[in-house]
Amino acid sequence: MNLNQKAKALNLGCCPCCQKVNEMTERKQRCSRCHHQFSQRKPYSLQYTFAWTLAAIVMFIPANIYPMMVFYTLGRPEKSTILEGIASFIQQGHYPIAFIIFLASFIIPLGKIIGLLILLYNTKSYSRISKKKQTQMYHLIASLGPWSMLDVFVVAVMAAVVNFGFFTSIEAGAGITYFTLMVIFTIFAAESFDPRLLWDIERRNTNDR
Amino acid sequence: MNHLNDINTLIACKHCDTVANSPTLTAGESALCPCCGYTLFSRKVDPVNRTLAVSLAGLLLLIPTVTLPIIGVGVAGKYNDATLIDCIMLMINADFYIIAFSVFLFTIAIPSVRIFSAFYLSYRIKTKQLSTSLLTFYRSYHLFDSWTMIHVFFLGVIVSMYKLISLDELIVGSGLVSMLLLLFCSTLISITLDQKLIWDLLEHELEPKS
Ligand SMILES: [Zn+2]
Ligand SMILES: [Zn+2]
Repeated sequence: MNLNQKAKALNLGCCPCCQKVNEMTERKQRCSRCHHQFSQRKPYSLQYTFAWTLAAIVMFIPANIYPMMVFYTLGRPEKSTILEGIASFIQQGHYPIAFIIFLASFIIPLGKIIGLLILLYNTKSYSRISKKKQTQMYHLIASLGPWSMLDVFVVAVMAAVVNFGFFTSIEAGAGITYFTLMVIFTIFAAESFDPRLLWDIERRNTNDR
Repeated sequence: MNHLNDINTLIACKHCDTVANSPTLTAGESALCPCCGYTLFSRKVDPVNRTLAVSLAGLLLLIPTVTLPIIGVGVAGKYNDATLIDCIMLMINADFYIIAFSVFLFTIAIPSVRIFSAFYLSYRIKTKQLSTSLLTFYRSYHLFDSWTMIHVFFLGVIVSMYKLISLDELIVGSGLVSMLLLLFCSTLISITLDQKLIWDLLEHELEPKS
Protein backbone atom coordinates (compact mmCIF):
# COMPACT_ATOMS: atom_id res chain seq x y z
CA MET A 1 0.00 0.00 0.00
CA ASN A 2 1.74 3.18 -1.10
CA LEU A 3 1.43 6.46 0.71
CA ASN A 4 -0.91 9.30 -0.16
CA GLN A 5 -3.59 7.08 -1.59
CA LYS A 6 -7.04 8.40 -0.86
CA ALA A 7 -9.67 6.18 0.74
CA LYS A 8 -12.23 7.23 -1.86
CA ALA A 9 -10.00 6.03 -4.71
CA LEU A 10 -9.73 2.61 -3.04
CA ASN A 11 -13.49 2.41 -2.53
CA LEU A 12 -12.96 2.71 1.20
CA GLY A 13 -14.78 5.04 3.56
CA CYS A 14 -13.70 6.41 6.91
CA CYS A 15 -16.44 6.46 9.55
CA PRO A 16 -16.73 10.07 10.79
CA CYS A 17 -17.67 8.86 14.27
CA CYS A 18 -15.16 6.13 15.15
CA GLN A 19 -12.67 6.51 12.26
CA LYS A 20 -12.93 2.87 11.27
CA VAL A 21 -12.07 2.17 7.64
CA ASN A 22 -15.01 0.45 5.96
CA GLU A 23 -15.31 -0.99 2.49
CA MET A 24 -18.05 0.94 0.74
CA THR A 25 -20.71 -1.30 -0.81
CA GLU A 26 -23.48 1.29 -0.91
CA ARG A 27 -23.52 5.07 -1.19
CA LYS A 28 -24.78 5.26 2.37
CA GLN A 29 -24.11 2.44 4.80
CA ARG A 30 -23.71 1.58 8.48
CA CYS A 31 -20.26 1.43 10.04
CA SER A 32 -19.33 -2.14 10.95
CA ARG A 33 -17.96 -1.00 14.31
CA CYS A 34 -20.17 1.77 15.70
CA HIS A 35 -23.28 1.29 13.49
CA HIS A 36 -23.26 4.98 12.58
CA GLN A 37 -24.74 5.67 9.15
CA PHE A 38 -22.32 7.49 6.89
CA SER A 39 -21.18 8.15 3.31
CA GLN A 40 -17.70 8.60 1.87
CA ARG A 41 -18.23 12.37 2.05
CA LYS A 42 -20.71 14.26 4.18
CA PRO A 43 -23.89 14.27 2.02
CA TYR A 44 -24.78 17.66 0.49
CA SER A 45 -21.91 19.16 2.46
CA LEU A 46 -21.50 22.22 0.23
CA GLN A 47 -25.22 22.96 0.03
CA TYR A 48 -25.65 22.73 3.81
CA THR A 49 -22.54 24.80 4.52
CA PHE A 50 -23.64 27.47 2.07
CA ALA A 51 -27.17 27.59 3.47
CA TRP A 52 -26.02 27.89 7.10
CA THR A 53 -23.43 30.53 6.16
CA LEU A 54 -26.07 32.53 4.33
CA ALA A 55 -28.38 32.31 7.34
CA ALA A 56 -25.51 33.51 9.56
CA ILE A 57 -24.89 36.52 7.29
CA VAL A 58 -28.57 37.44 7.48
CA MET A 59 -28.45 37.25 11.31
CA PHE A 60 -25.22 39.24 11.48
CA ILE A 61 -27.00 42.43 10.38
CA PRO A 62 -29.73 42.69 13.09
CA ALA A 63 -27.20 41.39 15.65
CA ASN A 64 -25.15 44.54 15.07
CA ILE A 65 -28.03 47.00 14.67
CA TYR A 66 -30.13 46.10 17.73
CA PRO A 67 -28.75 46.66 21.25
CA MET A 68 -27.14 43.72 23.04
CA MET A 69 -27.60 45.19 26.50
CA VAL A 70 -29.74 47.85 28.17
CA PHE A 71 -28.28 49.52 31.25
CA TYR A 72 -30.83 51.20 33.55
CA THR A 73 -29.66 53.86 36.02
CA LEU A 74 -32.48 55.38 38.09
CA GLY A 75 -35.01 54.22 35.53
CA ARG A 76 -33.16 55.82 32.60
CA PRO A 77 -32.27 53.27 29.88
CA GLU A 78 -28.93 53.34 28.10
CA LYS A 79 -28.81 50.95 25.14
CA SER A 80 -25.59 49.64 23.65
CA THR A 81 -24.89 47.50 20.60
CA ILE A 82 -21.84 45.23 20.28
CA LEU A 83 -19.64 47.96 18.81
CA GLU A 84 -20.89 50.61 21.25
CA GLY A 85 -20.08 48.27 24.14
CA ILE A 86 -16.53 47.89 22.81
CA ALA A 87 -16.23 51.66 22.37
CA SER A 88 -17.21 52.25 26.01
CA PHE A 89 -14.48 49.83 27.13
CA ILE A 90 -11.91 51.78 25.10
CA GLN A 91 -13.12 55.06 26.67
CA GLN A 92 -12.69 53.56 30.14
CA GLY A 93 -9.19 52.43 29.21
CA HIS A 94 -9.83 48.66 29.46
CA TYR A 95 -7.91 47.93 26.25
CA PRO A 96 -7.27 44.15 26.71
CA ILE A 97 -10.96 43.43 27.44
CA ALA A 98 -12.06 45.68 24.56
CA PHE A 99 -9.74 43.71 22.30
CA ILE A 100 -11.01 40.29 23.53
CA ILE A 101 -14.66 41.25 22.99
CA PHE A 102 -13.94 42.83 19.62
CA LEU A 103 -12.15 39.64 18.61
CA ALA A 104 -14.80 37.25 19.96
CA SER A 105 -17.97 39.00 18.85
CA PHE A 106 -16.95 40.81 15.67
CA ILE A 107 -13.73 39.56 14.07
CA ILE A 108 -14.26 35.82 14.71
CA PRO A 109 -17.86 35.58 13.38
CA LEU A 110 -17.01 37.73 10.37
CA GLY A 111 -13.77 35.80 9.78
CA LYS A 112 -15.62 32.50 10.03
CA ILE A 113 -18.23 33.55 7.47
CA ILE A 114 -15.62 34.87 5.01
CA GLY A 115 -13.34 31.87 5.61
CA LEU A 116 -16.14 29.38 4.95
CA LEU A 117 -17.10 31.19 1.75
CA ILE A 118 -13.45 31.04 0.59
CA LEU A 119 -13.25 27.33 1.41
CA LEU A 120 -16.55 26.69 -0.40
CA TYR A 121 -15.17 28.47 -3.45
CA ASN A 122 -11.94 26.48 -3.26
CA THR A 123 -13.78 23.15 -3.39
CA LYS A 124 -15.19 24.22 -6.76
CA SER A 125 -12.19 25.89 -8.35
CA TYR A 126 -8.51 25.06 -7.94
CA SER A 127 -6.65 27.37 -5.57
CA ARG A 128 -2.95 28.18 -5.33
CA ILE A 129 -3.04 27.98 -1.52
CA SER A 130 -1.69 24.60 -0.41
CA LYS A 131 -4.25 22.00 0.65
CA LYS A 132 -2.54 21.70 4.02
CA LYS A 133 -2.97 25.45 4.67
CA GLN A 134 -6.63 25.24 3.69
CA THR A 135 -7.21 22.30 6.05
CA GLN A 136 -5.53 24.27 8.84
CA MET A 137 -7.78 27.21 8.03
CA TYR A 138 -10.83 24.97 8.32
CA HIS A 139 -9.63 23.72 11.69
CA LEU A 140 -9.12 27.24 12.93
CA ILE A 141 -12.65 28.15 11.84
CA ALA A 142 -14.13 25.07 13.51
CA SER A 143 -12.22 25.47 16.79
CA LEU A 144 -12.91 29.19 17.21
CA GLY A 145 -16.68 28.70 16.89
CA PRO A 146 -17.72 28.54 20.56
CA TRP A 147 -15.69 31.62 21.55
CA SER A 148 -18.15 33.89 19.75
CA MET A 149 -20.70 33.10 22.46
CA LEU A 150 -18.60 35.16 24.88
CA ASP A 151 -20.67 38.33 24.67
CA VAL A 152 -23.93 36.42 25.16
CA PHE A 153 -22.62 34.85 28.36
CA VAL A 154 -21.31 38.23 29.56
CA VAL A 155 -24.78 39.77 29.15
CA ALA A 156 -26.44 36.76 30.82
CA VAL A 157 -24.15 37.00 33.86
CA MET A 158 -24.41 40.81 34.12
CA ALA A 159 -28.21 40.76 33.81
CA ALA A 160 -28.46 38.17 36.57
CA VAL A 161 -26.09 39.88 38.98
CA VAL A 162 -26.84 43.59 38.42
CA ASN A 163 -30.47 43.42 39.40
CA PHE A 164 -31.33 46.17 41.90
CA GLY A 165 -34.70 47.16 40.49
CA PHE A 166 -35.21 50.89 39.84
CA PHE A 167 -31.83 51.94 41.24
CA THR A 168 -29.65 50.13 38.70
CA SER A 169 -30.21 47.06 36.55
CA ILE A 170 -29.04 45.46 33.33
CA GLU A 171 -31.30 43.76 30.83
CA ALA A 172 -30.58 41.91 27.61
CA GLY A 173 -31.46 43.68 24.35
CA ALA A 174 -33.17 42.36 21.22
CA GLY A 175 -29.83 41.99 19.39
CA ILE A 176 -28.70 39.14 21.65
CA THR A 177 -31.16 36.63 20.15
CA TYR A 178 -30.00 37.39 16.60
CA PHE A 179 -26.39 37.23 17.73
CA THR A 180 -26.84 33.81 19.39
CA LEU A 181 -28.61 32.45 16.31
CA MET A 182 -25.77 33.75 14.14
CA VAL A 183 -23.15 31.98 16.29
CA ILE A 184 -25.14 28.72 16.26
CA PHE A 185 -25.59 28.96 12.47
CA THR A 186 -21.84 29.46 11.90
CA ILE A 187 -21.09 26.42 14.08
CA PHE A 188 -23.59 24.36 12.04
CA ALA A 189 -21.97 25.68 8.84
CA ALA A 190 -18.50 24.65 9.99
CA GLU A 191 -19.80 21.23 11.14
CA SER A 192 -21.44 20.47 7.81
CA PHE A 193 -18.33 21.32 5.80
CA ASP A 194 -16.22 18.34 4.81
CA PRO A 195 -12.48 19.23 4.60
CA ARG A 196 -11.84 16.16 2.43
CA LEU A 197 -13.60 17.95 -0.42
CA LEU A 198 -10.66 20.35 -0.46
CA TRP A 199 -8.34 17.45 -1.28
CA ASP A 200 -10.66 15.93 -3.88
CA ILE A 201 -10.20 18.82 -6.28
CA GLU A 202 -6.42 18.53 -6.24
CA ARG A 203 -6.66 14.91 -7.23
CA ARG A 204 -9.03 15.74 -10.07
CA ASN A 205 -6.66 18.40 -11.36
CA THR A 206 -3.55 16.22 -11.31
CA ASN A 207 -5.46 13.49 -13.15
CA ASP A 208 -6.33 15.97 -15.89
CA ARG A 209 -2.74 16.87 -16.58
CA MET B 1 -4.99 -5.91 -4.17
CA ASN B 2 -5.91 -7.77 -1.02
CA HIS B 3 -6.87 -4.76 1.04
CA LEU B 4 -10.00 -6.61 2.11
CA ASN B 5 -8.02 -8.91 4.34
CA ASP B 6 -6.08 -6.22 6.11
CA ILE B 7 -8.81 -3.57 6.29
CA ASN B 8 -8.58 -3.70 10.08
CA THR B 9 -4.94 -2.64 10.02
CA LEU B 10 -5.71 0.44 7.91
CA ILE B 11 -6.44 3.89 9.19
CA ALA B 12 -7.81 6.82 7.21
CA CYS B 13 -7.30 10.49 7.98
CA LYS B 14 -10.66 12.18 8.50
CA HIS B 15 -9.28 15.52 7.31
CA CYS B 16 -7.67 14.62 3.99
CA ASP B 17 -8.87 11.02 3.36
CA THR B 18 -5.34 9.58 3.14
CA VAL B 19 -5.10 5.86 3.89
CA ALA B 20 -2.16 4.57 5.91
CA ASN B 21 -1.18 1.39 7.72
CA SER B 22 -2.08 1.70 11.37
CA PRO B 23 1.19 1.77 13.36
CA THR B 24 1.61 0.07 16.73
CA LEU B 25 2.23 2.72 19.34
CA THR B 26 3.35 2.59 22.93
CA ALA B 27 1.55 4.62 25.61
CA GLY B 28 2.00 8.37 25.18
CA GLU B 29 2.73 8.29 21.45
CA SER B 30 0.64 9.76 18.63
CA ALA B 31 0.36 8.78 14.98
CA LEU B 32 0.35 11.69 12.53
CA CYS B 33 -1.13 11.77 9.05
CA PRO B 34 1.66 11.54 6.43
CA CYS B 35 -0.25 13.89 4.14
CA CYS B 36 -1.75 16.73 6.19
CA GLY B 37 0.02 16.27 9.52
CA TYR B 38 -3.03 16.00 11.78
CA THR B 39 -3.14 13.42 14.56
CA LEU B 40 -4.65 10.15 13.37
CA PHE B 41 -4.88 8.68 16.86
CA SER B 42 -2.87 8.56 20.05
CA ARG B 43 -2.19 6.01 22.76
CA LYS B 44 -2.78 7.39 26.24
CA VAL B 45 -1.04 6.49 29.50
CA ASP B 46 -3.31 4.47 31.82
CA PRO B 47 -6.47 5.76 30.07
CA VAL B 48 -9.21 3.88 31.90
CA ASN B 49 -8.20 4.63 35.50
CA ARG B 50 -7.30 8.24 34.80
CA THR B 51 -10.52 8.97 32.90
CA LEU B 52 -12.52 7.28 35.64
CA ALA B 53 -10.93 9.48 38.32
CA VAL B 54 -11.17 12.74 36.39
CA SER B 55 -14.75 12.20 35.20
CA LEU B 56 -15.90 11.23 38.71
CA ALA B 57 -14.41 14.47 40.02
CA GLY B 58 -16.12 16.33 37.17
CA LEU B 59 -19.51 14.79 37.96
CA LEU B 60 -19.22 15.80 41.62
CA LEU B 61 -18.15 19.34 40.67
CA LEU B 62 -21.21 19.78 38.45
CA ILE B 63 -23.47 20.18 41.48
CA PRO B 64 -21.67 23.11 43.19
CA THR B 65 -20.99 24.74 39.81
CA VAL B 66 -24.70 24.91 39.04
CA THR B 67 -26.05 25.71 42.51
CA LEU B 68 -23.47 27.97 44.19
CA PRO B 69 -23.25 31.72 43.41
CA ILE B 70 -20.75 32.62 40.69
CA ILE B 71 -20.29 36.30 41.49
CA GLY B 72 -21.88 38.80 43.82
CA VAL B 73 -22.05 42.60 43.69
CA GLY B 74 -22.98 45.23 46.23
CA VAL B 75 -24.32 48.69 45.35
CA ALA B 76 -25.23 51.29 48.01
CA GLY B 77 -25.64 48.80 50.82
CA LYS B 78 -27.61 46.29 48.75
CA TYR B 79 -26.06 42.94 47.84
CA ASN B 80 -26.98 40.55 45.06
CA ASP B 81 -25.37 37.35 43.82
CA ALA B 82 -26.18 35.03 40.95
CA THR B 83 -25.83 31.31 40.30
CA LEU B 84 -25.79 29.66 36.88
CA ILE B 85 -29.44 28.71 37.42
CA ASP B 86 -30.27 32.39 38.20
CA CYS B 87 -28.77 33.45 34.86
CA ILE B 88 -31.03 30.99 33.04
CA MET B 89 -34.17 31.78 35.08
CA LEU B 90 -33.71 35.52 34.56
CA MET B 91 -33.44 35.04 30.80
CA ILE B 92 -36.65 32.96 30.83
CA ASN B 93 -38.47 35.66 32.83
CA ALA B 94 -37.31 38.30 30.36
CA ASP B 95 -38.69 36.19 27.46
CA PHE B 96 -35.24 35.47 25.97
CA TYR B 97 -35.98 31.78 25.56
CA ILE B 98 -33.30 31.10 22.95
CA ILE B 99 -30.61 32.58 25.21
CA ALA B 100 -31.86 30.67 28.26
CA PHE B 101 -31.93 27.46 26.25
CA SER B 102 -28.44 27.97 24.78
CA VAL B 103 -26.90 28.79 28.16
CA PHE B 104 -28.53 25.69 29.66
CA LEU B 105 -27.52 23.48 26.75
CA PHE B 106 -23.91 24.64 26.30
CA THR B 107 -22.88 25.08 29.93
CA ILE B 108 -24.94 22.48 31.81
CA ALA B 109 -26.64 19.84 29.66
CA ILE B 110 -24.00 18.97 27.06
CA PRO B 111 -21.00 19.07 29.43
CA SER B 112 -22.92 16.84 31.88
CA VAL B 113 -23.78 14.29 29.20
CA ARG B 114 -20.20 14.33 27.96
CA ILE B 115 -18.65 13.84 31.42
CA PHE B 116 -21.23 11.21 32.34
CA SER B 117 -20.57 9.21 29.15
CA ALA B 118 -16.83 9.30 29.85
CA PHE B 119 -17.44 8.12 33.43
CA TYR B 120 -19.94 5.40 32.50
CA LEU B 121 -17.74 4.06 29.69
CA SER B 122 -14.60 3.87 31.81
CA TYR B 123 -16.57 2.28 34.64
CA ARG B 124 -18.01 -0.41 32.36
CA ILE B 125 -14.60 -1.08 30.80
CA LYS B 126 -12.96 -1.23 34.22
CA THR B 127 -15.50 -3.78 35.47
CA LYS B 128 -15.45 -5.58 32.08
CA GLN B 129 -19.20 -5.24 31.43
CA LEU B 130 -19.41 -4.37 27.77
CA SER B 131 -22.69 -4.25 25.87
CA THR B 132 -24.01 -2.81 22.61
CA SER B 133 -25.70 0.05 24.50
CA LEU B 134 -22.23 1.48 25.14
CA LEU B 135 -21.90 2.14 21.40
CA THR B 136 -24.78 4.61 21.54
CA PHE B 137 -23.27 6.19 24.63
CA TYR B 138 -19.87 6.60 23.07
CA ARG B 139 -21.33 7.97 19.84
CA SER B 140 -23.05 10.71 21.86
CA TYR B 141 -19.69 11.61 23.39
CA HIS B 142 -18.33 12.30 19.89
CA LEU B 143 -21.40 14.22 18.76
CA PHE B 144 -21.10 16.90 21.43
CA ASP B 145 -17.41 17.67 21.07
CA SER B 146 -17.79 21.17 19.60
CA TRP B 147 -20.75 22.21 21.75
CA THR B 148 -19.27 22.37 25.25
CA MET B 149 -18.76 25.98 26.24
CA ILE B 150 -17.79 25.97 29.92
CA HIS B 151 -14.48 27.63 28.99
CA VAL B 152 -16.27 30.43 27.12
CA PHE B 153 -18.70 30.96 30.00
CA PHE B 154 -15.78 31.15 32.43
CA LEU B 155 -14.11 33.84 30.34
CA GLY B 156 -17.49 35.57 30.14
CA VAL B 157 -17.63 35.76 33.94
CA ILE B 158 -14.09 37.22 34.04
CA VAL B 159 -15.09 39.87 31.45
CA SER B 160 -18.23 40.71 33.46
CA MET B 161 -16.07 41.19 36.55
CA TYR B 162 -13.99 43.70 34.60
CA LYS B 163 -17.17 45.54 33.65
CA LEU B 164 -18.46 45.57 37.23
CA ILE B 165 -15.19 46.53 38.92
CA SER B 166 -16.36 50.12 39.39
CA LEU B 167 -19.20 49.02 41.69
CA ASP B 168 -18.87 49.26 45.48
CA GLU B 169 -18.42 45.57 46.13
CA LEU B 170 -17.47 42.64 43.89
CA ILE B 171 -17.20 39.13 45.30
CA VAL B 172 -15.92 35.99 43.58
CA GLY B 173 -18.39 33.25 44.47
CA SER B 174 -17.52 29.64 45.32
CA GLY B 175 -19.45 28.61 42.20
CA LEU B 176 -16.77 30.24 40.04
CA VAL B 177 -13.98 28.32 41.81
CA SER B 178 -15.91 25.10 41.29
CA MET B 179 -16.50 26.04 37.64
CA LEU B 180 -12.76 26.52 37.13
CA LEU B 181 -12.11 23.06 38.58
CA LEU B 182 -14.88 21.58 36.41
CA LEU B 183 -13.33 23.22 33.36
CA PHE B 184 -10.02 21.67 34.35
CA CYS B 185 -11.61 18.19 34.66
CA SER B 186 -13.53 18.51 31.40
CA THR B 187 -10.33 19.46 29.55
CA LEU B 188 -8.41 16.63 31.23
CA ILE B 189 -10.99 14.09 30.04
CA SER B 190 -10.20 14.85 26.41
CA ILE B 191 -6.51 14.35 27.26
CA THR B 192 -6.85 11.09 29.22
CA LEU B 193 -9.62 9.37 27.25
CA ASP B 194 -8.15 6.99 24.68
CA GLN B 195 -10.68 7.09 21.86
CA LYS B 196 -9.10 4.39 19.71
CA LEU B 197 -8.61 2.04 22.65
CA ILE B 198 -12.30 2.23 23.56
CA TRP B 199 -13.45 1.68 19.97
CA ASP B 200 -11.05 -1.25 19.55
CA LEU B 201 -12.19 -2.77 22.84
CA LEU B 202 -15.87 -2.40 21.95
CA GLU B 203 -15.32 -3.87 18.50
CA HIS B 204 -13.29 -6.77 19.82
CA GLU B 205 -15.67 -7.65 22.65
CA LEU B 206 -18.93 -7.22 20.79
CA GLU B 207 -18.05 -8.93 17.54
CA PRO B 208 -18.63 -12.61 18.46
CA LYS B 209 -22.11 -11.89 19.85
CA SER B 210 -23.44 -9.92 16.89
ZN1 LIG C 1 -17.93 4.00 13.01
ZN1 LIG D 1 -4.49 13.80 6.75
